[in-house]
Formats: sequence, C-alpha cells, structure tokens
Amino acid sequence: MSAPAAPPAPRPPARVHSAAGHLRATAVVLVLVVLGAGVAYPLVVTGIAELIAPGTANGSLLHGPNGTVVGSSLIAQNLSAPYLFWARPSLTDYNMTLGAGSVPGPSDPALRSLLNETLSYMRLYGNLSVNATVPFDWAAPSASSLDPDLVPEAVLVQVPRVAAATNLSIAFLQGFVNAHIVNPLIPYLGVPFVNVLSLDLALLPLIGKA
Amino acid sequence: MFDFRSVWDVVLLVGLVVAIAPWFGAYLGRVYMNRPAFGDAILAPIESALYRLLGTSPRSAMRSSEYMLAVLFVNGGVFVFLFVFLALQHALPLDATGAPNMHWTLAFHSAASFTTNTDFTHFTNESQLSLGALMVAWPLALFLSAATGLSVAAAMVRGFVRKDGTLGNFYVDLVRTMTRVLMPLAFLLALALVLLGVPETLTNYAIAHPLTGGTQTIYLGPVASFQAISFLGTNGGGFYSTNAASPLANPSAVSDLLGTFAMMLIPFSTPFAFGQIVRRKGEAWPFMGTILIVFAIALGLFVAYQAAVNPALAGLSGLGPQTAGYPVGQETRFGLTDGSLFQVVSVYTNTGANNMQIGALAPVAQLVLLFGMFTQSTPGGDGTGFGMLLLFAILGIFVGGLMVGRSPEYLGKKVGTGHVKWAALALLTHPALILVPFVLAVAGGFVTVASGSLPASAHTFTAVLYEFTSEAANNGSALGASSFNDTTWFFNIAGGLVMLLGRFVPIFAMLKVGGMFSEESVLPPGPGTLRTASATFTVYITLFLIIVSVLLFLPVIALGPLAQIVGGP
Repeated sequence: MSAPAAPPAPRPPARVHSAAGHLRATAVVLVLVVLGAGVAYPLVVTGIAELIAPGTANGSLLHGPNGTVVGSSLIAQNLSAPYLFWARPSLTDYNMTLGAGSVPGPSDPALRSLLNETLSYMRLYGNLSVNATVPFDWAAPSASSLDPDLVPEAVLVQVPRVAAATNLSIAFLQGFVNAHIVNPLIPYLGVPFVNVLSLDLALLPLIGKA
Repeated sequence: MFDFRSVWDVVLLVGLVVAIAPWFGAYLGRVYMNRPAFGDAILAPIESALYRLLGTSPRSAMRSSEYMLAVLFVNGGVFVFLFVFLALQHALPLDATGAPNMHWTLAFHSAASFTTNTDFTHFTNESQLSLGALMVAWPLALFLSAATGLSVAAAMVRGFVRKDGTLGNFYVDLVRTMTRVLMPLAFLLALALVLLGVPETLTNYAIAHPLTGGTQTIYLGPVASFQAISFLGTNGGGFYSTNAASPLANPSAVSDLLGTFAMMLIPFSTPFAFGQIVRRKGEAWPFMGTILIVFAIALGLFVAYQAAVNPALAGLSGLGPQTAGYPVGQETRFGLTDGSLFQVVSVYTNTGANNMQIGALAPVAQLVLLFGMFTQSTPGGDGTGFGMLLLFAILGIFVGGLMVGRSPEYLGKKVGTGHVKWAALALLTHPALILVPFVLAVAGGFVTVASGSLPASAHTFTAVLYEFTSEAANNGSALGASSFNDTTWFFNIAGGLVMLLGRFVPIFAMLKVGGMFSEESVLPPGPGTLRTASATFTVYITLFLIIVSVLLFLPVIALGPLAQIVGGP
C-alpha cells in the first residue's frame, strides 16, 4: 500500500508582474543605480581618496623649482633637449587629447619606416657613440604613447650626450641614473625602470637650470 | 632570453584565484539562492525596503519568458538613458572640456556597447566624452550589465533545482548582485587602486608646463572608481582612451596584477556558484578544468610568441636587442609576463581592457586572443560566460548520449531536442554575427584604410574580423585604429546591432533552456547515467568546445590571422 499522493502544489502564475509593474521596477532601478553608482559611489571614493592619498588621487602632479606644475610623474612629455634624458617616443606628441595613437602591425612596412625614422632622429640628435645601438625598448612606440618610464639600459645609453651638454661627468651621471632606478618591491614583480621626468627634475638643480 | 623566474607572480596569482574560487563561488551561490550568507544582518533589511520600492518580492518567481521581458525592460532603459545622455552630453551638466554631442549613429553604437557589457569605443574619451558621461552615465551600464549577466546565469542554473517552471525574480537578483557583490567589491577595489596611484578626483584636468616649453593637458577625474567596476564587471571600458595601458589608470605592475585579479574573480568563481546552487560541489570541477586547460594553453602560447623577436625587423641598422619581450606597443613598467597575463585574462574573461596595443602583437598572439572570443566561455564574462559554457556542455552531453545510445540527461534532468535547439541557436548566433557583417563590410567596400598603410592586407582583414568578433562576443578589445577606419556610419550601425544581438539572443537561449529544465521533475540516477563530475567528462567537454569553435571559424581564420602567420603582410 502506498501513501495517498499529496495534492499537487498550485501551479505558479504565468506572469507575476503586469507591464506597468515592470515599467515601475525598471524606473526605480535606473534612478537608484544612477544615484548609487553614478553619484554616491564616486563621491564617497573621492572623499576618502583625498584623505588617504591626496597626491596620487590628484594625478601625481610634479612641481618645478618655482612651484609651477611641470607634469605628472605618470605621463610622459617631450624632453628632447640635449641636457635632459628623453622618454620613449610618442605617436601623439605626448598629447592626451589625441588618445592612443596607433602602432603598426608586426609585418606592416610602416613599422619598419617608423622605427627607421626614430632611430635616425635618436642617432642624429642623441649624440650616441658611433658603435652604440639604440635599445629596442627605447625606440619602440609604447601602448599609450604616454609611457613615462624607460628600462635602465635606455637611460644609460643617453649619459654621454647629457654629459657633453652639461658640466657633469659620465661617471657621476651613471651613478645618478643608477640611484633613480625603481626596482620592483619583490624581484620580478614587474621590471626595474627609471621614471624619466622625475630623473630630469632631479637633474635640473645640478645643471643650474633650477 | 626568456627568464623563467619572471613567472612566479603569474603562477601565484592564478593559484590564488583557483584557491579562493570555491569559497567565493559558494558565497555567490548562497546569494542567488537566498540562503543565509555573510552580511544578512545589515543587508537583508535594506533589500526588503528596496523590493518594496520596486514593487516586487522574492516570492514572485518569473518564468523564462517573463524573466527575459524584465531583462529587456531594464537593459532597454539603460540603453535609452545612455543614448539620450550621449546625444545631448554637451547640453547636460559636467562638460567642462567641451565634449560635443554625439552623432546619433555614434550614440547608438556607444549606448549598445555599454549596455551589452562590450565597451567597444568608436571615440576618443578625452575629447569626445564629458565628465558627466564618464562619471554618471557609463558607470550605470558598467554596474547593470554585469549584474544582468550574473542574474541570467543564476536564473538558468536554478532551472536544475526547480520543478515548477519558474526561474526566480530578475529584480531581486539585480538588487542582490548590487548589494552583495558589485557595490562592496567595487568600493574596496577602488580604494586599493587609489592607494596604488590611480587618480580619484572631481577635477576634470590639470594644465602642466613641460620642461621643454608649451603646455600639456592632463585629464583627470574619478578614474579609480570607474576602473574598479570596469574590471570587476568584466566590462573593460577605460576611463582613458588608452584604457589599461594609460599610466594614470594602471600605474604599476602591482596595479596591473590587482586589475587581473579583479577580472578573474567572478568568472573563475561562477562554476562553484553553480555547484553550490545544484548542491553538488563536484560538478563545478569539469567546468573549472575546461577553463583552466584552455586558459593555460592560451597564456603559454601568448607569452612564448611575445618573447620572440619580430622577423620582419631583421637587419634594421642601429636597432639594439629587446630586453625581455617584443616592446612595440607595450608599456615598460609591466614587463613581459605580468603584462601578458593581464591581456590574456582581459580577453578571455571578455573584459577587453587592453594594457598593450593588440594590433602590434605577434600574429599568433592575436590569434590566441581571437580564439578566446570565439569560445567566449573560457571563462567568458560575468555570468554569460558560464551560461555559454553550460550550453556547450548540454550540446556535448546530447551528442555524447546519441553516440553511446542512451537517453541523455544532466543532473537528473532529461536533455531533449528542445534544449539542444536553443543551445545550438546561441552557439550559431555567434559565428553568424561575425561572418555576415564581415562579408558585408568587405564586399560592400566599407573598409577604408588610413593613408600610409597597405591597402588591403591580411592585417586589415584580421582587424575587421577582430572588430566584429569582439562586438559579437561582447568583449570590447580592438586591434587598433591604424588598420582601418571604423568610425563610419556603417561600422556604428552594424557594430551596434551585432553587440545587441550577440548579447540578448544567447541570454534568451540561456533562460529558455533553464526554463525547460525547471519544468521537468528530477530522475533518480541509474546505471546508465553519465558521471559528469569526472576527469573523462572534463576532457570530453574541453575537446568538444575546442573542436566546435575551431570548425566554426576555420575558414575566416585562414584569410586573416593564418595568412599573417605564414608571412603575409
């Protein structure tokens, strides 16, 4: 003998909301998320950010010797004066308004001519020694065209030019560059690099440009 | 030479994600089953108040068609809001930089792009978006598109544990995704990004006076809060047009790895949320296995080919050697392995935030990224990626059942032709949405290349293919503007339609399949039942997914990426 079957559960309704109900729910969702995610969220994060990290929260701006904003340590700028260390080349002339710029594909002939152009410029104005090659990591266009950093090799190769344009010795400048290498917190968590604008700002007082 | 010591942090990060995914996935499962979970004491009363405000209740469970209707209502609302906002942004508040109103075709493309979790952009943020659009309008979609994906996946999976034909309440799922998952995590992540150097301010820009003269405009804004939800929600939109390559948005290798973690967290945990919902934890591992196998192969290939030198540059006089990876289109601070991990994760989670220029990559690396968008499920975007993987599995179970002559079932529910029709529709929509507009664009003469580039090369072909693949998969990464001009009315309209269909057709299929399972009663396991929590099933599903994806796309791969690999321009 089997137990009598339980009465079947009532079927759930085919619809739980009318069109008006959906419309109301949608309107409330949109208003709440605009207020919560579009207004409250960025305002609260900004408020806390200005308390805990005011320097970086405002764009890591760097000030020159006379107090003016000279740039951001995170955004490269045109530094091609003979007495300064240069950053990586930019397809947008370091202008953020122009966006990313567009790097040619690996087999595009435009890549070869772009690199040739950069190399000629660096050799002509960079005062490199005759046999020196330009480190690929220096000549290559970056992803953002705003990369503020350089691998140490690419900074050291510029030392002879800076030495010739200033009264500083090659040995001193090599030590100066090495002191400005940013090493990863833990080895291989990222790569060692030099922030070029910070380096040049530190160089200015030494060459009497402050 | 490739330095194998540089992979330790990659292994550690992926290991960390795999270690916490079962725990976080179980939490997600509790959230979507209304089971007791961390935070109930504070959040439950708030949620009850929100349900009343919305005029709904957790007890009102919707069937698949009504759930779809609710999805369309909310996402339609987001789309209309964005379209109107972007078309009128110059007339609205917070436009200090003077961004003009968008042309309606561009506003259509952008609104479709944000609503569908794609975030593919045909504009330059710095000059064409107001601060209001970046702070208020776009983030609305960043949150709600991710919440929609997760809710839909939860509803589909609930079909396995319900017997009355219902899937749950979309509005309740949305609310709980916001209060339990996206808002708290985005808040914490945004603060962490601030501490790592990302700007967060209401100032629109700063004017700098560079050392060699002139002026430089440095665009600022609430960047950290934007990037946080963009990563977590697998959206991939960037506050800056250079996206995650921008040194302001992604200042260091550490911020790069944190962003990688944020993109991985939800997609890699979703299989375990599934295991929690169906109350069989072991069923999560075949999916996790499939995801990890495909992902590991992709990352390995990507790094290997990016570590190599570019043969096309042989003999360039005066050019020194590369220090680690191929540096063209790469940022210095990330390094080869950490930068590559971010990029592969970004595309494979369908986030699409680039920290490098994809168009500059080695052809094999470009193909690796394309493949991730072909499967769109290893692991894919928040929610929808797992939904696609489940559809692949259902199709695989059906085919496998036919091969051994047993009636196919999964988790005690019969898999019939009805389920398979919807699964096949979702899987076939993808190639159709890529190939049809691709042929229209190429044959219709809509592809115009920038001067100075080759007229019609394999690279251009790859770029057009990549564009529609990225849009159909709701990915959002782009091959770069050098390849061809995509800011025309044709690419705006075609791209917008591809994104909308590529989003909502598969969502409809997922809900339909879930609804059919929900109508069925549970069969007890018998001797012929396929053991799905097994290594055999993992390997079967992995191979099934790879073979189906390759077969669907082989012809078009041959014209673009393969032609480049064998040496075409």
